[in-house]
Amino acid sequence: MSVNISPLGDCAALVNFGNTIDPDINQRVLSLHEALAQSSFNCFIESVPAYASLAVFYDTQKIAKHTNSSPYAFVKNHLLAMLAQDNIANEAIKSIINIPVCYDAEFGIDLHYMAEYHRLTINEIISLHTAIVYRVYMIGFMPGFAYMGSVDDRLATPRKNQPRLNVPAGSVGIAGSQTGIYPIDSPGGWQIIGKTPLQLFDTNRKIPSLLAAGDQVQFVSIDKNEFQQINGH
Amino acid sequence: MGIKIIKPGIFTTIQDLGRIGYRAVGIGPGGAMDTFAATVANYLVENDKNCPVIEMHFPAAEMVFESTALVSITGGDFGASLNEAHISPWKPFFVQEHDRLTFKNQTSGARIYLAIHGGIKADEWLKSCSTHSKLKAGGYKGRALLKADRIELNKSMSRFSINNFPNLKSIIHPVYEKPNLIRCIAGPEWNLMQKSSQSIFSGSTFSITTHSDRMGFRLKGTNLAIQTAEQLISSPVNYGCIQLLPNGQLIVLMADHQTTGGYPRIASVISADLPKLSQSAIHSNIQFEMIAQGSAEDALFSLHQTLRSIKNNCNLFYAVHRHQL
Repeated sequence: MSVNISPLGDCAALVNFGNTIDPDINQRVLSLHEALAQSSFNCFIESVPAYASLAVFYDTQKIAKHTNSSPYAFVKNHLLAMLAQDNIANEAIKSIINIPVCYDAEFGIDLHYMAEYHRLTINEIISLHTAIVYRVYMIGFMPGFAYMGSVDDRLATPRKNQPRLNVPAGSVGIAGSQTGIYPIDSPGGWQIIGKTPLQLFDTNRKIPSLLAAGDQVQFVSIDKNEFQQINGH
Repeated sequence: MGIKIIKPGIFTTIQDLGRIGYRAVGIGPGGAMDTFAATVANYLVENDKNCPVIEMHFPAAEMVFESTALVSITGGDFGASLNEAHISPWKPFFVQEHDRLTFKNQTSGARIYLAIHGGIKADEWLKSCSTHSKLKAGGYKGRALLKADRIELNKSMSRFSINNFPNLKSIIHPVYEKPNLIRCIAGPEWNLMQKSSQSIFSGSTFSITTHSDRMGFRLKGTNLAIQTAEQLISSPVNYGCIQLLPNGQLIVLMADHQTTGGYPRIASVISADLPKLSQSAIHSNIQFEMIAQGSAEDALFSLHQTLRSIKNNCNLFYAVHRHQL
């Protein structure tokens, strides 16, 4: 697999593994992310995993003390050496996080559109969406927003032409072959098919985001009564 | 001991140097737009560089102090006046109980920073006091300041002479020199841009549009084009990242940027020029100059050298006056 490292400004390097959404490529991204988090080298500040790339933020000043060459060149060599070691750990088996979703038309405001678009019944949409264990590829776009995939081909739907000005927190949507949950109220163009009563993001929690890259997620259909019950707690 | 906000001004917020370590869960660093000015504001009143400061735009806030305090204002020049007496930016000054601070006119820059010796009390969230207004966390109740808000000070103090405080203007000046010339290095997708667009990028002028805020500066200029129609999948972005939008126009991501994005990252503003860019007001024209990675790093080292020099000057002054602090 070809890996390309390039500068992302003068304080970060971008490790690019390609331009495809693929679980194996994403696992390489997360392995490097993990290896950096555990590395004793104290000049790395943080790294940010995406589908097929990882941004590595470093302390340019501190690194200058380790090298006579450019800090970026030093970081690039350091990362290439880490990648060459190829001790990329096997993916730890993660338990599946079940996320209850109420697929009622009150919350799933695009269910009817989706049903018409794909010539499916709403029940078929629900069973297709709940049948798969999704991978959280990355968190981005907004705090705690998990990009998950891939949905069944029969559910893949383009984004709305005109994004909504406000999508309520907890809304579950589909964009292309991805599925995701809006953690906070936000403008957005994903096709909304339901809503979870869980709080995906809470600033009062020690770890504010419920989901992290690499997690496994399965949606569980609940009715409105169950939604209210969980919501009330 | 506190500061009473009489008029809130436009988006007056508490910021520090940002929230580090949470980009992986989608929380960007935020923090002061002009980290140089925020840091210097703190050094001028003998604070740690990451002490929370008040970031203001024009029209700025009007405030009344409830006790004696050592204060500094840095960044742009908004015609600060204390009880109608002119206050120069980039040097410390004393305020007393009932003193009223106002800002008359914007003569330079786009934002200013106010620091107070001993610091202000602010909400800390994920190790930072920066205001995250979208999540309503950090700073002052997670929001911009409003009329009648009261900010508590950490320390009380008494007045002493700071008349012979060193003049640091000649040290600071180079950081904001040539305000319209913004140096860049190539971004990951620079080579995806058409050759003709590459030369337009570094050879023409772009203006900062009204659709510019703490999240990003939208620019207006000649349309630029990408060679391929291939869609990019979402990938990390950072402060200073210049993205090419589908309509051919550019956006420069600023302090409150998202952590990931899907538009081509054609270039990055060098860290040493972010203070300058963040002080560029709406409607100002800027030009980009492509430089080598090594030159960007050297410019950053020199910025840090400038900060060290300012810090040393301030510390030396206060060391002599320490018995009074």
